[in-house]
Amino acid sequence: MDGHPYGYNLPISEKTKAVPWEEKVRIVEEVKSDFRFKEYIFGCLNCGVCTASCPSNRFFDYSPREIVQRFLEEDVEVLYDMMHEYIWACSQCFTCWIRCPFVNNPGGLVAIMREVAVRNAFEATKDLLKPYGRVLLKVMTTGNQLSADMLQPDFFPDWGPKMADNMENLRAKRLAIPFDVGKSVKTAWEVSLETAIEMYTIWRETGIFEMLEKLDPNLYNVIMDIVEENEERYEELYEEEE
Amino acid sequence: MAHAHGFGHNSPGGLLRYPEKPPFPLKEYSAHYDHIFEMMEELEAKGEILIHRITEEHQPVEVFTRTGRIKLIPTNKLWHHKSCGQCGNIPGYPASIFWFMNKFGLDYLNEPHQTSCTAWNYHGSGTSNPVALAAVWLRNMHQAWKTGYYPLIHCGTSFGSYKETREQLIMNKELRDAVKPILRKLGRLVDIGDGKERIVIPQEVVHYSEWVHAMRYKIKELYEKEGKAKGIDVSNVRVAIHNACHTYKMIADDYPYDPEVFNGQRPAASTAVVKALGAQVVDYSTWFDCCGFGFRHILTEREFTRSFAIQRKLKVIYEEVKADLIVTHDTGCTTTFEKNQWIGKAHGMYYPVAVMSDVMFAALACGAHPFKVVQLYWNCSDYERLLEKMGISNWRELRKEWEDTVKYIAELEKAGKYDELMEFFKEYDLYEPYSRTSTGKPKASATANMPLFKS
Ligand code: SF4
Ligand code: SF4
Repeated sequence: MDGHPYGYNLPISEKTKAVPWEEKVRIVEEVKSDFRFKEYIFGCLNCGVCTASCPSNRFFDYSPREIVQRFLEEDVEVLYDMMHEYIWACSQCFTCWIRCPFVNNPGGLVAIMREVAVRNAFEATKDLLKPYGRVLLKVMTTGNQLSADMLQPDFFPDWGPKMADNMENLRAKRLAIPFDVGKSVKTAWEVSLETAIEMYTIWRETGIFEMLEKLDPNLYNVIMDIVEENEERYEELYEEEE
Repeated sequence: MAHAHGFGHNSPGGLLRYPEKPPFPLKEYSAHYDHIFEMMEELEAKGEILIHRITEEHQPVEVFTRTGRIKLIPTNKLWHHKSCGQCGNIPGYPASIFWFMNKFGLDYLNEPHQTSCTAWNYHGSGTSNPVALAAVWLRNMHQAWKTGYYPLIHCGTSFGSYKETREQLIMNKELRDAVKPILRKLGRLVDIGDGKERIVIPQEVVHYSEWVHAMRYKIKELYEKEGKAKGIDVSNVRVAIHNACHTYKMIADDYPYDPEVFNGQRPAASTAVVKALGAQVVDYSTWFDCCGFGFRHILTEREFTRSFAIQRKLKVIYEEVKADLIVTHDTGCTTTFEKNQWIGKAHGMYYPVAVMSDVMFAALACGAHPFKVVQLYWNCSDYERLLEKMGISNWRELRKEWEDTVKYIAELEKAGKYDELMEFFKEYDLYEPYSRTSTGKPKASATANMPLFKS
């Protein structure tokens, strides 16, 4: 089947077609069994208000109305296909949520779909998130997603010449902030080691490390090296105290 | 409580309150969301949760939400839940918040025993889940409660995500049951002597922009007293407001609205403080649009972010209303707007306009140093013209002063003169005596072994 009679403009990919039906059903059911699902979709007028106000719709072949409609129609084939690339266009702004007359939350549906796509380590998802690895490394090991040293001017040439000036003497600039903020260059703030240790427990207990291992084994190894090193440091400090 | 017979249903424990009459025309009278406050009281009575209450010592100010509910905004004794995007990329943002805290002589805690909310990562990559997000939030909230300081959330995404997580926790026993064993492991449940293990949940989730909103008349006083004395005048400044999606579209019923701001039909924070300062708020047709940040997009789908920011916001603001300044109240939008202007030159789409958050603009108006405090050197937008228009015509000297300080620090550090450095900071740092950096010395930093980011 190419495309969809009701408007999903993209042809169903060959990859999706080749996947056994039961597997596609399993994936869509995984989305629907999330406790949030019933809080994010109540019905749909097909009014298109969500799509009309959706920022991603302006620049991508992407429509939140389409996602809601496919769920209501239980269109497994299209939903499974959407979960590979389509859903990654969403900006997670939740304009659709505040505007929908049914109080549906298409952006929330996308969040669940992305989570399931990551958990099931879809190839397209792996490729899509490759450039995101550095961010994951930072957030998983330190609890901070962003730090001053990440804003290398050669990553962001489009941000203009002022960026290059900003990075000069970066450390001294940060020390010159007369408050205890932004002093660290490698993280947004110095997260205490004991806090990071608690966070690692959270990642372990909630399956986040496992999820990462499936998504990107190399990145997972780098992350675990840092995590284990920090855990050892913590043990030593703890023993010293005793 | 003062409003025993509000127009809405007031809860027995006083957490859910409405004024006598609707403060402005309302879309609906009985918001589904508001019931969570009553449910919180019930869960507390059952021993499932412990509500971190806003008390007199927090000097609360009452504001209204979109549903007309009275929301208490604590203004003192605050635990600063910082934003990684702000500290990392807009250092003048938190610095301006702390500058006001010190100016007003408020008590606060700024400690390292906190992580980010990790929700930016979630919205960008999907590599988390609601149980993990809830555990991270509750760990941070328990830490704040333990210190006796009330959490003030700096980041809009943290604020939006925390509001949503709280609703999910209150509405879903399965989520509470999933997160409790993790918190138990962390020692983050509370037994008040009855053998029941409680999750700590704050009475209100509070964003810094709500604090600015609640403090706007005090900020105005400071502007009149100190800003004007320095020759600063914002009355001619044309300001376009950009409200952040994660503050007012996520859990839309929990953000301030006010009869003074579009008769309660648009979010009030930021607009109200700009109005209180006497600057000109200019309206534009795409005020409801997002900025184009997109979480993932700003990093890995940049042409979208740039195109959206330029075409839907910067161009419109420039052509329709010729604003001098876009005032924001969140991390991603500020970055998106100030960093994506220069590139427009490549396509004849350069629409220069200054960009900064409400608290940064307010700090400038009240006389804060544009570089030492507001850290404008980091800002890629066209802010110099704004400074001139505000009457900060000595900005070149101020910039030179800042650059000399940076040079001095860099040289001392390079020469390993740490004692001299420490002496210098004793005089230089502004955070004493009000801020206590921590409740306890951290054992060590989680950052120590992080490699520096290399391109
Ligand atoms: S959350 Fe996603 S689907 Fe909804 S309006 Fe924003 S970009 Fe569109
Ligand atoms: S706004 Fe709501 S009802 Fe209208 S099409 Fe979108 S999801 Fe359906």
